[in-house]
Parts: sequence; C-alpha cells; structure tokens
Amino acid sequence: MEKKIGIVNRQPPHGSSDAREALDLSLALSAFNESLSLFYIGDGVYQLLAKHKTDDILQKDFQPMLQMLELYDVEQIYVCQTSLELRNISIDQLVIKPILLSIEAISSHLALQDQLLSF
Amino acid sequence: MNNHPIVKFTILVTSNPASKQSNATAYQFCHAALKAGHLISGVFFYLDGVLTASNLVSPATDEINLPSLWAELAYQYDFPLEVCVSASLRRGIINEQEAEQLDLAHFNLKTPFVLSGLGQLAELSANCDRLMQF
Repeated sequence: MEKKIGIVNRQPPHGSSDAREALDLSLALSAFNESLSLFYIGDGVYQLLAKHKTDDILQKDFQPMLQMLELYDVEQIYVCQTSLELRNISIDQLVIKPILLSIEAISSHLALQDQLLSF
Repeated sequence: MNNHPIVKFTILVTSNPASKQSNATAYQFCHAALKAGHLISGVFFYLDGVLTASNLVSPATDEINLPSLWAELAYQYDFPLEVCVSASLRRGIINEQEAEQLDLAHFNLKTPFVLSGLGQLAELSANCDRLMQF
C-alpha cells in the first residue's frame, strides 16, 4: 500500500527558504504519491495569508504555486485552527481553502502518517 | 550476532553541515545503524543539506570534514548520496554537466555525491521501512 506522507509547515513564508522549498517538495512528491497531506501549524499559517508583497524584500512570491496543489490533486491540506485564531487570521484571508482542524485533530492526523517531513 | 530485525532506512538531510549539529548527527546515526546491521537505502540532501556535497569544504585541521566522512561511509557501505539539483544550483553546488550547460568556469560536486531530482526522494521514501529527517 502507498505510504501516507505528511509534510509539516511551521515556518513563516519568508526569512528562510523552508516554506518555498517545502512547497517545491510537496508538488514534486504529489506526482509520485497520492496519499500526501500538508499541515500548516504555528507561524506556518502565514504561508497561506494572502497579499504577500515579496518584491519589497527581494523574495520569490511562491503563493501562485499554492494554487497548483489543487491541480495536482493534493486535497488533504490541514490548517491548525488555533494557530489561525492566535494570529487573528480568518479563513477568508487565505489564498487556498484548507481544512481547519483543532490541535487534537491535527495530532491524530499526524499520527496517521507513515512518514513525516518537517520544515 | 544481532537478533534484531533489519530495518531499511532512508535519510533526509536538510541541515547545513557547517552550522547545524544535526548534519553530523545524521552521519553518526547512519554509521551506528550500519554497524548494527541495518541498511541505508540512500541519503537525500535537500535545503541547506546540499552544501554537504561541496568538495571545496575545508575546515581547520582540528575540525571534522563532514563531506569526506559522508563520502567514506557511502563508499564503505555502498549506498547513494543523492543531492537535490534545484536546491544545489541555487546554492552553488554544481557538477560537471551543469557547469557546461550553464557556461560556468567551475564545478564542485564531490564524488560520490550525485545531483538528482525530487523524484529520487519519492523513490527512496517508497523503498524503505523508516524515513529519518535530520
């Protein structure tokens, strides 16, 4: 059976390349693995917050690539609801429509994965 | 000698060899696992981990040379050291073929490291019992 792979995103979108390169990796893996889940936790939720102005800080705007996830049939995109609430972000402000999960539900979804990659 | 079940590991190294201990820990983990009779399907280097593949890394004489240690271990136990090509190119890790294509004066990929795509990570991930990230 195909392994369930979870990719955990916990870093803000810029400041380090973790977010962008984790997304590169997610899109690449999705071509080989149909049981891919993405998790956005903590400051990782900022990766999904709309209206990045990356030109101002000489960083690449990778948010258009988030739209590719749907095209690549990556549907299991989970966001920690508490992380959003703590940062006063509503789901309408996100560039994609993920599945919101409580901390407990995030934990149980993480436990379902065969492999976890963390960025 | 060892009665424990043999585990086949894939190792993902995302840490910078010069500034993070975890790159050395990954090496130590592989060394210990192999000595205990386990298998390494391959080691995939991504993010700043790709800097491990530079043959220009030249630490002071009282410091360890991680790229050389990785290379020795890979030769000794015959497992591949795969390095993500896109992460490498943006960090200046270049093999002979890329140097030619990009019209660069030099290349610096250490043998036996090889540049490969993220598809190779997918294959290593499918072909192991456990995936460990450092």
